[in-house]
Amino acid sequence: MKRLLFPAALCALALIAACSNLKEPATQAISAAEASLAPVKEAAAKYAPEALQSVESQIASLKDNLAKGDYKAVMASAPTVTSAISGLSDTVAAKTKEIEAALAQAKDQWTSLGGDLPRMIEAIQSRVDILSKSKQLPRNIDKAAFDSARTGLDTLKSGWTEASGAFSSGNVTDAVTKAKAIKDKAAEVMHTLGMTNG
Amino acid sequence: MSAEDAKTADPENPYTQHHVVEKGDTLSKIAKQYYGDPALYPKIFEANRDILKDPNQIKPGQKLRIP
Repeated sequence: MKRLLFPAALCALALIAACSNLKEPATQAISAAEASLAPVKEAAAKYAPEALQSVESQIASLKDNLAKGDYKAVMASAPTVTSAISGLSDTVAAKTKEIEAALAQAKDQWTSLGGDLPRMIEAIQSRVDILSKSKQLPRNIDKAAFDSARTGLDTLKSGWTEASGAFSSGNVTDAVTKAKAIKDKAAEVMHTLGMTNG
Repeated sequence: MSAEDAKTADPENPYTQHHVVEKGDTLSKIAKQYYGDPALYPKIFEANRDILKDPNQIKPGQKLRIP
């Protein structure tokens, strides 16, 4: 009986030793996966939430296996998780670059609009002020058109204040969208007032 | 020049309307055309003080700002 027990115990010990040998690398593999995910996690939550969720569930699965002592499974799955994190990092980097390019473009547009709009509003204001003093409107503008231009000017001024506020708050894209709409409206008011050159 | 006129006479504003003087034009006539009221000609004169010395002397070809 002793003869039979000894090899069995030896096998069990060898198995335990083999498993114990995998515990450390398995734990390290999970730590490494978490460490490589950490720097991109916040941006990934914004730009690639589904891919992030998938990676997080893969890490959770690794942890489950680690808790169960299934280090082999951890070691087998770790490369797939590492690869998924790498893919996620690439996606986030590409998306960040895209967003930064769009933001830079919006800032350029804002600079241009910021140069144009106050001048358009100033020119319209000047004409409205002068026409308000006129005893008779010019032939190409009737009273209804003039009243609409005056209302339009108020809209332009409040809209520009709103767009500037959005820009100051850091909502550059929103500010540009608003400013573009104001520029269109300003062009319309100038047309109503007959303020066209050429 | 009043503060208001000074403000409206910004020579750098690309959105200010212009009028090229033609033979027979007067500032009153131009004011009538753009403002409906010839009496408002001083607005045009003040906006063009850099090129006009006398409101009664404008020359064909002059490019005037119409504030």
